[in-house]
Amino acid sequence: MDLHRHPELLDRLAAAYALGTLRGGARRRFEALAREHAPVRAAALLWQSRLVSVNELQTPAQPAPAVWTRIDNLVRAERDRTAMDAARQDSPAVKGGWWRSLPLWRGASAAGALSAVVAVVTAVGLRDDLGSQIGQLQAQLATTPQVRYVAVLNDEQSSAAMLVTFDPKQQRLTLQRVSGFQEAADKSLQLWALPPGGAPRSLGVLSNEQLLQLAAGERDVSGVPALAISLEPLGGVPSERGPTGPVLFKGALIQKML
Amino acid sequence: MSNIPDRSLVSLIDRVAIRDEGALKGLYDHTSGKLYGLALRVTGHREWAEDALQETFLQVWKTAADYRASLSPPMAWLGLIVRSRALDQLRRHKAEREHLTDELDDVLADTLEGDSANPMDTSLASQQAWALHQCLTRLEHKQREVVSLAYLRDLSHGELAQQLKLPLGTVKSWIRRGLDQLRACMAHFA
Repeated sequence: MDLHRHPELLDRLAAAYALGTLRGGARRRFEALAREHAPVRAAALLWQSRLVSVNELQTPAQPAPAVWTRIDNLVRAERDRTAMDAARQDSPAVKGGWWRSLPLWRGASAAGALSAVVAVVTAVGLRDDLGSQIGQLQAQLATTPQVRYVAVLNDEQSSAAMLVTFDPKQQRLTLQRVSGFQEAADKSLQLWALPPGGAPRSLGVLSNEQLLQLAAGERDVSGVPALAISLEPLGGVPSERGPTGPVLFKGALIQKML
Repeated sequence: MSNIPDRSLVSLIDRVAIRDEGALKGLYDHTSGKLYGLALRVTGHREWAEDALQETFLQVWKTAADYRASLSPPMAWLGLIVRSRALDQLRRHKAEREHLTDELDDVLADTLEGDSANPMDTSLASQQAWALHQCLTRLEHKQREVVSLAYLRDLSHGELAQQLKLPLGTVKSWIRRGLDQLRACMAHFA
């Protein structure tokens, strides 16, 4: 039927279409006609623009002041991220993938092993009573964190910024800031697990201390190839929302075999 | 909230489009009450309405540059975004909706039974909204209410009947008569 030749019917259908009460097959037929015939499309648009005013006639109410604070935080985070992206594009530095932390981690691990050997040798050298020394070392070992996972998170220039270790015995992540980075007083750093093919999952919000710990279960980190730290509004954001601020540091999470 | 002319709102939106954070705050100060009222009416839930309002202003921050191409009065453009985000909230919380609509139904039932019409508010309303307001005031208030709700909450005849606990035939005839009168009236405003 040539709907556009029946102005009364066209007007009625267009009004019901715009109101939303024209449903199912009738709605689909109307949409098909609107695509083919400009007058039908025009009638629909006219009614849409008339009825949109229903939105403008509702009684005002006062939202909680926190709503603006949240908007402001998110807008600032977005602005910071944009600024950082722009800075990255200007920077001549080669783009570094997360694997760049691998050699760094190996270096850190080798240095750690070496210092442990040096410590033992020195201690043994200084004391004659080897037996008591061994006992002391055994006691030390029992209280020493059992590190199962390690990650060195790098900044965009591939400089190490954060050392993360996971101890399944104590059920905790230990984070050590290794660069001079300090977030502003109204910001928090937040640690995220980046599971393969899944959305980032929050592992916790960092305090501004140099060395800090977060409670975590083995399930939180096993099978997670990488960790990242984003800059968020003070107190962080809910996990399901994902990072809202720029990702500052990132690196591979490595399961220790030793 | 104050009543400021459309052109002031348009200039605020233009400034938001060039990343002026002060303008976003200005726009929020002038319109948040009105827009929150709308979100509240769509969702019937303070928290969801606040989330919808938050998402609206983040969307405005990102898409203010598209505003001019819409050829809409500023409050119509903003209202459309709020309604969409508020409907998103309703869908997101669909599981809880069943239980929520009980409360809404009670409020609505009162409105529909009473003589007092749900007051329409024309603060910040565009000229086109004034025309619709004129025509809506001529409807019986129960017709006005079902027409408004059908639009605001994107409800079918069946869903309206269910939410308002009215026979389907009644809802259909109120909507039909309401729309017929509205069409006749709006024709004067072309």
